[in-house]
Amino acid sequence: MVKEHDILIIGAGLSGLRSAIELVDDYDVAVLSKVHPLRSHSVAAQGGINAAIREEDSWRDHAYDTIKGSDFLADHDTVELLTKEAPRAVIENEQWGTVFSRTEDGRLAQRPFGGQRYPRTCYAADRTGHNLLHTTFEQALRKGVKIYDEWFVTSIVTERDRAIGLTALQLASGKVEGFAARALVVATGGYGRVYKKSTNSIINTGDGIALALRAGASLKDMEFVQFHPTTLAGTSESRYSSNILITEGARGEGAYLINSKGKRFMHKYAPEQKELAERDVVSRGILTEIKEGRGLEGGFLHLDLTHLGAEKIKERLPGIREIAMTFAGIDPIEEPIPVEPAHHYSMGGIDCDRFGRSPLEGLYAVGECSCMSVHGANRLGGNSLLETLVFGRIVGETIAEDFDGLDDTKEDAVDDAAFEMRQKLQRLMLGERGEPPAEIRDELNETMDEKVGVFRNGDDLEKALSRIKELKSRFNEIALGDMDERFNYTLIRTLELENLIDVAEAITKGALMRKESRGAHYREDFPERDDEEYLQHSIILRTDEGLEVDYRDVTLGLFEVED
Amino acid sequence: MLFRIARSREGGEITHYDVYKVEVSEGMTVLDALFQIQDRMDPSLAFRYGCRGAVCGSCGMLVNKMPVLACGTQVKEIRDLSMNLHDFPPLTDIPAGWDPERSVLIEPLPNFPILKDLVVDLSKFYDALEELKLWAEPQPGNEARSQFPEDRKRIERYVHCIMCAICFGACPVNHEKEEYVGPAALAKAWRFYDDARLTQRRRYLEAAKQEHGAPLCELIMNCVRACPKGVAPGGAIRKIKSESIE
Repeated sequence: MVKEHDILIIGAGLSGLRSAIELVDDYDVAVLSKVHPLRSHSVAAQGGINAAIREEDSWRDHAYDTIKGSDFLADHDTVELLTKEAPRAVIENEQWGTVFSRTEDGRLAQRPFGGQRYPRTCYAADRTGHNLLHTTFEQALRKGVKIYDEWFVTSIVTERDRAIGLTALQLASGKVEGFAARALVVATGGYGRVYKKSTNSIINTGDGIALALRAGASLKDMEFVQFHPTTLAGTSESRYSSNILITEGARGEGAYLINSKGKRFMHKYAPEQKELAERDVVSRGILTEIKEGRGLEGGFLHLDLTHLGAEKIKERLPGIREIAMTFAGIDPIEEPIPVEPAHHYSMGGIDCDRFGRSPLEGLYAVGECSCMSVHGANRLGGNSLLETLVFGRIVGETIAEDFDGLDDTKEDAVDDAAFEMRQKLQRLMLGERGEPPAEIRDELNETMDEKVGVFRNGDDLEKALSRIKELKSRFNEIALGDMDERFNYTLIRTLELENLIDVAEAITKGALMRKESRGAHYREDFPERDDEEYLQHSIILRTDEGLEVDYRDVTLGLFEVED
Repeated sequence: MLFRIARSREGGEITHYDVYKVEVSEGMTVLDALFQIQDRMDPSLAFRYGCRGAVCGSCGMLVNKMPVLACGTQVKEIRDLSMNLHDFPPLTDIPAGWDPERSVLIEPLPNFPILKDLVVDLSKFYDALEELKLWAEPQPGNEARSQFPEDRKRIERYVHCIMCAICFGACPVNHEKEEYVGPAALAKAWRFYDDARLTQRRRYLEAAKQEHGAPLCELIMNCVRACPKGVAPGGAIRKIKSESIE
């Protein structure tokens, strides 16, 4: 039995929920999520959400900072939409009940963030994502949005270059069912678990990106992977570095980076902005210090908050203090926090326009899994929460506009796809001899950390690509071991691994082909930005021969491209 | 180190305990240990997880009879943990053969039906949010409202709730009275009632004071002791009890 809805949304983080809220009054909309919505990764965002809400600031300044921060790869029309709509998104969420931090006179407080000339980041202490997600979920409940929680989407079903539904595995029962709809929204977030060192939730496995690629959609700018300069490192005696995010908000409040000599060093890499330079610049600065022997034993540096004083730390950065105490046994009021760069965000994703339309009719994407190209080669802090809320609403509006022109659902094709998926999962679960999937996941993580990280070069990327291909073929010979149908998390993690491998291949292929350095993509063998050749988006498509890379012009128009 | 883990492959009752030998290293959390078991020893072991950073609230469970987030609990610190909880059967029924000196005991969060192993059915916990209508009604206008820092501060700790259900699982009343909405929902009701920006705030208080709400709470305060985020629902419930609806 195929389940039918007008619109299906995959993912119940901020993007997915905001799209659903926009559509629920007029359409039968359902959200599928592999976790309960409140467990979505949006909850972990700390620092804040950007909006030009003061007279001294303007959407144009916000747009300029975003485009400059993107190393001129962001599409200007998309950035214009984001920055013009920003105040509305923040105010709407305030109206919904979010408890933002405030100035003494009761207005929304704003803090400085990297790469921005004005303190325009609204925040809720250092738990902004938590506050926004809980509020948005409350509104989705109020509106009666239908949610299928703990359903893992296993494929997007297409017919003649058009998305018509999906198949999904219900964790509780282990059953696969087909879902038919006129429009599908992919809102599954990022893919941090391609890397071992990542700030992301364990559930961030790029599922939607891989599903869309397999369904015939193209991906865009996948080589642009943001590494966050300050994530919680393990100490020298510890094997575990959790890489939990230590928000840029900490540096915004005045925290410094210090090397093993106890000296600040960011003035060498960014004389004016220092710790508040763009994230790629700070990440390279830290790794250069470590490379040149000024790191601490175990390969990390310190982020010092002690001079901020107990009161400010408790008021503005309480979550950071809690993280440092719980996961590193360190109270940042008294001691500096061990930090290292780690994967944080994916600028690339499903190729779509600024309204969320992918090239595959009926398929839309929004949030981190999408690439409307608002972040270009490097995202500014405070723009990702903003993207989810602004474009969540816009994608909802777009679908409402398109809806009458989309064909009615095709149940038979969806039913067939569900049947095939049941067979595939049966085969996967029955394999008796082979290596455990965890081995492949570990090797994939290691390869990506070592060869497709902050510093890249052609040699390493070639090696990584052939390694990924090898892992892909080894994936066909795995054995999952003895287990049950119900709540089969080993099966879920194996399906996630299949997605991670595809995403890793796209990232690495894109990085190998882009022979320049731009934003977060730094090639040691091509250290300069090359606008002549590469002021272009990379577009990745799956063909019978493997992944194919093509290029498309960046949409300009608002500002001149600068060096 | 040995981990003794409650199993229930079909759901319902805990049927038995399996013992696993985990290689412990510095900085390892209980969640890391569970993944080591699932990845290397027993792919059938089921438990929920998410952020691994103590913010998403997925991995609440009983560790040595204490309700905690598995990801926020360091293995080497388990023995020093102490919550001074008021006892009720799931915390006092010691499984045969468990010696706290020799192994770490892992069990599902109490007061919820077991679905499989450490995975419990939280639907009654989530349903309370809808029953009590725990959301703000948006007001017309396109300006952000004022909220003074002191007004914000009053409700801030309740806003920190991550809905991990540990308070519900730690509460002796929830253990006895299935109909009790539990501490998290009441703390959230207070958060809206005390939010100076909202109008029609009385409805949250009325919802909190309904018969399956605050009146059932005996102010035992296990919720306050067990909460991993310092929300302290018991304080909110005390205030709800003393507030008159008039």
